[in-house]
Amino acid sequence: MGPSELTVELFVNGRMMSVRLDPAMTLAEVLRDHLGLTGTKIGCDRGACSACTVWLDGDVVASCMTLALDARSRNITTIEGLAHGETLHPVQQAFVDHDAMQCGFCTPGMVMSCAALVDRKPGCTLDDVKAAVSGHLCRCGAYPNIFKATLAAAGAARTRDTSRGDGR
Amino acid sequence: MNTFEWVDATSVEQAADLLAARSANGAVVAKAGGIDLLDLMKEGIVRPGRIVNLKSIGGLDGIALGPEGGLTLGALVTLARIESAAEIRGRFPALAAAAAHASTPQVRNVATIGGNLLQRPRCWYFRSQLFHRDGANAGDAISDGENQYHAIFDNRETAMVHASTPATALVAYGAEVQLTAAGGQRRTVPLTDFLLPPDIKRDRDTVLAPGEVLTHVVVPAPAPNTRAAYHKQTERDSYDWPICDVAVVLQMDGETVAAASIVAGWVAPTPRRAVESERVLVGKPLTEELARAAAAAAVAGATPLSKNGYKVALMEAVVRRTIMAAASK
Amino acid sequence: MSTAATEKNGKAPDAAPSKPEEAGAPAGQPATPNPGASRQQTLTYGIVGEPLEQVTRRVPLDEPPPLADNAALKVIGKPLPRLDAVQKVTGAARYTFDVKIPGMLYARRVTSAVAHARIVSIDTAEAEKYPGVRAVHVLDRLLLQAQVRDPNAEPASRYPTVRYLGQPLAAVAADTQRAADAAALLVKVTYEPLPHVTTLDGAMNDGSPADFPGPTEQPGTAGGGGAPPGLPQHGNVRGPDTGRMFGLPRGDVARGLADAAVVVEAEYRTQVQTHVPMETHGLVADWREDGLTIYASTQFTTSVRDEAAEMFDLPKSRVRVISDFTGGGFGAKYGIGNFGLLAINLSRKARAPVRLMLDRREEHVSVGNRPSSLQRLKIGAAADGRLTAIALEAYGSGGVAAGAGVGFAHAMMYPCPNVSAIQFDVFTNAGPCAAFRAPGQVQGIFALEQSLDEVAGRLGLDPIALRDIIDSSGSDDSRARRVQRRIGAEKSGWRTRRPPNADTGPIKRGLGMAQSHWLSVIYPPSSCEVRITGDGSVEAFSASQDIGTGTRTVLAQVVAEELGLEAGDIGAHIGDTRYPIGPPSGGSRVTGSLTPAARNAAYRAARDLAARLATALGVPQDDVVFEEGHAGVRGNAATWLPFKEAVKKAGITELSHRAERREDYDGYLMETPEFSVGKHGIGGVQFAEVLVDTETGAVKVQHIVAVHDCGRPINPMLTESQIYGGVIQGLSYALYEERHLDPTSGLQLNANIDQYKIVGAREVPVIDVHVIEQLTAQTSTDARGVAEPANVATAAAVANAFYNATGKRIRTLPLTPANVLDALRA
Repeated sequence: MGPSELTVELFVNGRMMSVRLDPAMTLAEVLRDHLGLTGTKIGCDRGACSACTVWLDGDVVASCMTLALDARSRNITTIEGLAHGETLHPVQQAFVDHDAMQCGFCTPGMVMSCAALVDRKPGCTLDDVKAAVSGHLCRCGAYPNIFKATLAAAGAARTRDTSRGDGR
Repeated sequence: MNTFEWVDATSVEQAADLLAARSANGAVVAKAGGIDLLDLMKEGIVRPGRIVNLKSIGGLDGIALGPEGGLTLGALVTLARIESAAEIRGRFPALAAAAAHASTPQVRNVATIGGNLLQRPRCWYFRSQLFHRDGANAGDAISDGENQYHAIFDNRETAMVHASTPATALVAYGAEVQLTAAGGQRRTVPLTDFLLPPDIKRDRDTVLAPGEVLTHVVVPAPAPNTRAAYHKQTERDSYDWPICDVAVVLQMDGETVAAASIVAGWVAPTPRRAVESERVLVGKPLTEELARAAAAAAVAGATPLSKNGYKVALMEAVVRRTIMAAASK
Repeated sequence: MSTAATEKNGKAPDAAPSKPEEAGAPAGQPATPNPGASRQQTLTYGIVGEPLEQVTRRVPLDEPPPLADNAALKVIGKPLPRLDAVQKVTGAARYTFDVKIPGMLYARRVTSAVAHARIVSIDTAEAEKYPGVRAVHVLDRLLLQAQVRDPNAEPASRYPTVRYLGQPLAAVAADTQRAADAAALLVKVTYEPLPHVTTLDGAMNDGSPADFPGPTEQPGTAGGGGAPPGLPQHGNVRGPDTGRMFGLPRGDVARGLADAAVVVEAEYRTQVQTHVPMETHGLVADWREDGLTIYASTQFTTSVRDEAAEMFDLPKSRVRVISDFTGGGFGAKYGIGNFGLLAINLSRKARAPVRLMLDRREEHVSVGNRPSSLQRLKIGAAADGRLTAIALEAYGSGGVAAGAGVGFAHAMMYPCPNVSAIQFDVFTNAGPCAAFRAPGQVQGIFALEQSLDEVAGRLGLDPIALRDIIDSSGSDDSRARRVQRRIGAEKSGWRTRRPPNADTGPIKRGLGMAQSHWLSVIYPPSSCEVRITGDGSVEAFSASQDIGTGTRTVLAQVVAEELGLEAGDIGAHIGDTRYPIGPPSGGSRVTGSLTPAARNAAYRAARDLAARLATALGVPQDDVVFEEGHAGVRGNAATWLPFKEAVKKAGITELSHRAERREDYDGYLMETPEFSVGKHGIGGVQFAEVLVDTETGAVKVQHIVAVHDCGRPINPMLTESQIYGGVIQGLSYALYEERHLDPTSGLQLNANIDQYKIVGAREVPVIDVHVIEQLTAQTSTDARGVAEPANVATAAAVANAFYNATGKRIRTLPLTPANVLDALRA
C-alpha cells in the first residue's frame, strides 16, 4: 500500500467511514482533517500529553502516535462518540458538574481516559484515577476537579450497579 | 512526515526478507507499536521509504510459561499486558513493575516489548536532527553541554544511555532474545550482549543484523526462593524518563544470599550489572549494613560528567533501597 | 508594563470641573474619578465574616445600587457549572486549532538553524515550485524582541539578524500541511555566523559575545513586558531600572542596613519557564477585499485586531478577530506575533485563508517565556521585626527581549522607609520572553518571602508573627492577608510546626508559608452591551475572550442577577471584536473590568424594561422589580408575570443598552488609557507541607493551603478552579520546569512535553482553597481577578517548607534532585 493515497475503511463511533489517506497519516490527522471530528486535540504530536486520546476497542491510545492504517479493523471511539444522543456519559456530566476543566483543550482526551476507567472499574480509587490520567497533561491545573468528578461518576455507577440487585 | 510504502507482513520469514532488501525509495524499517518509530520520523531522523508492519504477523504476541517456569514473550506483547499478566506479576515482579512504570497508559497499550528493547536513545542531542547532520559531533556537545541525564560509567566514548527500563529488569533476570534472519536462520543472544552502547552514527544500537527480526524474549525460570524488586527513580511521578532505575533479583538460601543480580539502567550506555555489589552480598546474611556496603560498591568508580554528579549519591541510595525491598519480599 | 502617563481617558487632568463635587486634584495627578453627575453612596466595606464598616464614596449618579453580600444574592456568588462546559466535554468547542474554512491553506514556518548570524540570502525558488504551494513570505521585520536604538549600528539588510536558534525567518502556504512542511524544508538560507551566548552568567561577562550591536529599546505591548526607555546598556546588560515608577529609591538604604539588628543577605537564582499552553499559538488569517478576518488563539482579541491594523496599515474597522475558545495563554498570547505577520502576508498573497499553528517545539522556543533571575537581596530588620531596609540588585534574561524585572513587591508590599531596587535585563541568544502569569512577581516573591522567613528565624519570631508586624500598610490586600494568615494557619496545622530539621531519618517533613501581593489592574475601555428581544431573550456581548477562566459564565451571572433570571437564560456572546471592546485575559483583569460594565448595562436595560412595563401596567416604574424569573410590582402578587410575558406586555421589539466600566470610586494609583492600577492590591497567603528525601533529593509536596481574595467572587467554583490552577503552576515552577539550551549550538534541547516537565496528576497534592469575600466598595460588582495571585507565593511557600524540613535554605529553582542535593550539602 502507498506511498500514494489509497481508500481505507475505518469504523468510527459505530459507523463505517471511507477515507482517502496515505500511509504516513496518523489517526489524529484523519479524524480531524478528513472526518471533521475535531473534538480530538493535538497538544504535542509526540504521545507525551495524551490530549489526543481515543479508544481502540475500548483501550486508550494516543491517536497522534497511531498510524491510521494501524486502526483498520479496530473499533474507534472518539469524544464525539461518547454521549448517547443528547445524553452525556456520566463522566462527561460529572466533569460539567464539578468544573473539571478550564481552557478545555485537554478535556476531551481526559474524559476518554476517565470514562474508560469508570466503565471498567466503578470501584476505582483516587490512586486508580491518578494512574488512569497519569499520561495526561493539563496546564490549567484542573486535576483536583478531574479527580472529584471521576470519583463522583464512579460512585454513581456503583450505586446504579448495586441498586439493580440480584434478581433483575 | 513524508509518505512511504506500507507492507503488512504475514510471516516472520517474509518480514525478514523484506527487511534484508533495499527499497527503491529509501530505508526499509520494521514497525510494531510504532511509538519510537513515529517519534524518530516526526523529528526527521528516520525517513523510511518502506515500512514493514509486523503487527499483522500472527503468533508473536504470546505469553507462555514453560514447564519449569521460564517465560517466553512474543516480541509483539504489549507493555500493558506484561504489566497486568498474572504469570509475570507473580513470578517476575521486577519485570511487571518495570513495564508498569514505562511511559503512559496510552503508550503501554500499544508499545511492544520488542520495540521497547530496540528503541533508540532518548538523549536530547540524539533526538535532534541537527546532531545527525554531517559534521555534527554529539559526543563533544554532550561533554560540554547538558549531560544531566547521561551516563556516569563507561562514558568516555559515548555518554548516551539505552532508554528501555524493562531492559534493566530483563538483564537482571538473565533474559535472552531470539532472532530470525531472512532465510530462516535463528539465533539466541543474551540481552546483555544484544544491547550495544548507543552510537548516533549507526542506525541501531543492538546486534540485530539487517534483515533480522526479534521474535521472542525468553526469561529463564527463577530459582526457588527468588526475591526481586525494581525501582525507577524519576523527577516526576506521573510519567518520566528515569534518572536511574534498578532491578535486584536475589536467590536466597534461608537468610543468606546465594546469588544476586543487581542491574542499574540509565547510568551507563547499556544496563549495568553491578558485579562488585553482587560480590559483596553473595554468601552472607542480608542486613541493612550489607546492603549499604553493596550500594557503595555499586557506585565506586563512577566517572560523572560536568552535570550528572548528582546521579552517584542518588544511585547509591536507590541500589540500597531496592536491595532491601527485594529482601523484604 | 509600560511607563505611566498622566492623562486619563484622553482628558487633561486639570480640566475645569463643572460641578462642586468634582473639585479636582492638583494638575499633573489623576483628577477626581468619574467626573460628572454623582451622588454620595453608603457602601459596605470589609471582609465578610469579619467586622464590616460602612463607608461613603462618591459614585456616578446613575450607578446601580450596591449589591448585598453574596449570601443574599441569587446568582452572583453561586458555584454554577460553566455555561460552555458541555461544549468542552463533548468536543464541540471550536478552538482556533479546529477552525477550517473553505479554501483554507496550511502554512509552515522556516526558522533559523543557528543561534546568531547575519543572513546572506534566503532562496525560496524551489519551495515556490513545490506542488501545492500557493505563497511564500520572508520576514523583513520582527515583533516581540528588543530593537537596536541606532539603526546604523549594524549593516543594513533586508533580513533581520538572527539572534536565536529557532527564530522565524519565513513561511510557506500550501494546499495541505504535508506540502507546506515539505516545501518549507526546501527554502535555502545562507548564514554568516556570529558568536553567541546562551547563559545568564556568560552574557554578563565583559568579553561575552554581544546579542545586539548596541543599546536597545523595547516598548511594552498589550501583554506587558518590555522595559523602560532610554536605559544605558553595556554589552548584553541593559539597565539599571531603578524603580522610579514605584517611587524608588526611597530613604537611605545604607543607613537602614546599618541601623538594623539583623541583616539577611542572600543570592537567589530562578530558571527560565515556558508557558506550555495546551493549545499552541496560531491563527487563521482570511484576507479579503472587504476586510481581514482573523481567528486567533488569543487572550486579547483587541490586541490582535490593533496589531494587525497597525502592521498592515488597515483601519481597525476592516479587521475582525474571532476567538470562541482559547486553549490557555498564561500571558504569551497577545498581538499577532511573527507567525501572524507571516500568515496575514501569505493570505494576502495567496488570496485565500491561511492557517498557521505552531508545533510544540516552536511553541517552546519562539513565542515567550518567563525570564530567569539572579537576585542579590539584603533585608535589614529591627529587633522587633520592623523592616529598616530592603536593597535588591537583580539580573534576568529574557533572551532577545527585555522585561526580566522581578516585580515590585519590595516597593509596595511591606512598609519600609529605606528601599532600593536596581534591575537589569541581560540579553542572550535565546527565545524572547513574554509576560507570564504574574510577571516578575513570582521570581521576586521567591526571594523576598524566603529572606523574610530567614529574618524571622534570626529574630526568634514565628514567620506568621513577623508578617503580623510588618504587613501593616492597611491597604485592602494587607487587611486581607491578616485574615488569610489566620485561616491558613488553622487549616495547615501551623501550630504543630516543629523546629527546622526535626526528623532524624532521611525523609524529612516541613511546613512553610509565604505571602503574595498583586496589583488590581483594570482595562478602562471595557464595555458591555445587554440586549433584550421581544420574545424575552436576553443577551450580553463583549469582545473579551475566554482562556479558561469562564468569561461567558461570569458575564451571564452578573446580567442574570440584575434581571431576576438564571445564568442559563442569558446568551453570553464573547470573543469577537465586533462586540463592545472588552478586557484582556491577563493581569487578572477580566472579572474586575467586565463585570461592573455588564452589571451597569443590565441595570440600565432592566430599568428601561421596568419603565415600559410600568407604563403598560399603569404603576410607578420604581416599584417594578425582577425576581425569580418574574417581573411585577413589589408586594403585589397579582401583577407578577413570567419574564417573557412581561417583555411582551412591555411592547418591546428590541431594547439595547451599553455601559462602560466606570473608574474605581476611590480612584487609581496610576492610569493610562490601556490600564489603570487600583489603590489597593490583591493579597493571598499559601502554606505548603513537604517531604524531602535527603538521599535522593526528591521533594514531594503533600498539602497546600491557599487562602485568597478576589473582592466579591462571582462564581466560587470557577474561582477555586483558578486557584487550583495557579497553585499547580506554581508547584510546577518550583519543582520541575526548566528550559535547557545546548551552549554550543543554542538549541533548546527539551522543546517537547516529556523532557520539559510540568506537573501531572501524581504530582498534585491535597490543595485546600479558601476564598474570602472582600467588599472593597470600588465598583458596582466589587469583583476582582485571582488568576495571578494564585501563582505568586507557591514556590516561596515550598522553599520555606523545605527549610523547615531540612534546616537548609534552597535558593535555586527548580528544586530538582541535583539542586536539592547541592543545597543539602552546602
